Amino acid sequence: MSNAEDNKSSHDQLSSQVFLDLVDSVIADVASECHRVARLGLDRDLEVVEEELRLSVEARAKVADPSNNLETNTKYVVDIFGQSHPPVATEVFNCMNCGRQIVAGRFAPHLERCMGKGRKARAKATRSTTASQNRNSRRSTSDNNQLASGPPGFEENVRRA
Amino acid sequence: MYIRKHSVNRPPTPDEDVTESPERDELTLGEIINIKLVESGEKENLMELVRDRLVESGWKDEMRIACREHVKKKGRKDVTVDELIRAITPKGRASVPDAVKEELLDRIQNFIRSAAL
Repeated sequence: MSNAEDNKSSHDQLSSQVFLDLVDSVIADVASECHRVARLGLDRDLEVVEEELRLSVEARAKVADPSNNLETNTKYVVDIFGQSHPPVATEVFNCMNCGRQIVAGRFAPHLERCMGKGRKARAKATRSTTASQNRNSRRSTSDNNQLASGPPGFEENVRRA
Repeated sequence: MYIRKHSVNRPPTPDEDVTESPERDELTLGEIINIKLVESGEKENLMELVRDRLVESGWKDEMRIACREHVKKKGRKDVTVDELIRAITPKGRASVPDAVKEELLDRIQNFIRSAAL
């Protein structure tokens, strides 16, 4: 009986020893890795990453916090830099085709009409240009021709205005 | 089953002394186990298992933080690997999650038993 107990306790000791040996190996790995990072100065970048991680965790906590006034934030998405964007882009710039001032969020529909790429736009444009070309080809006045053969959008815009 | 290279003179009770005694031409039980573990490939399996468990439990991250603390104290250029190991080993050994320790010990004990020693 005592022999079995001895065996068991020695087994336990042996297995503990093996286990500690394994853990020591992993510890040595970790130490070696950290040593390398430290000596190469790679942890400078790590600090920046840590800071960003912390900020993102804070941001997530703020979003998840029910006591925050969420009504103000539901329409605005906050990105990883903490900037919020309105759903429709508000910046105004000049269209490179017609030169008008366009709101960025409305630029795509504008371009469709401006350059005659959309279905209805092109149909209207061709109708207006071919129609007016046919009308004006008989006349010899250059002004009218120029008008007719100008950018298709012009006629369109005139009509729309 | 025993290693044929050395003559294994087994003492009446198993020898727990794992420290090497080069004057005597015999292997301690611990050494025998180790050799069997390596030869069978089980040591490598265990290593992989330990690493996986310690990573997923966050132990490795805690250790890395501890290392970084130590490096901050001692200065980046002065620190040595040995120093780091010495600094984190006590904490490392103590902070292994119990579940991980049990799982590993279980497997090791199974191995020892199945090695018919």
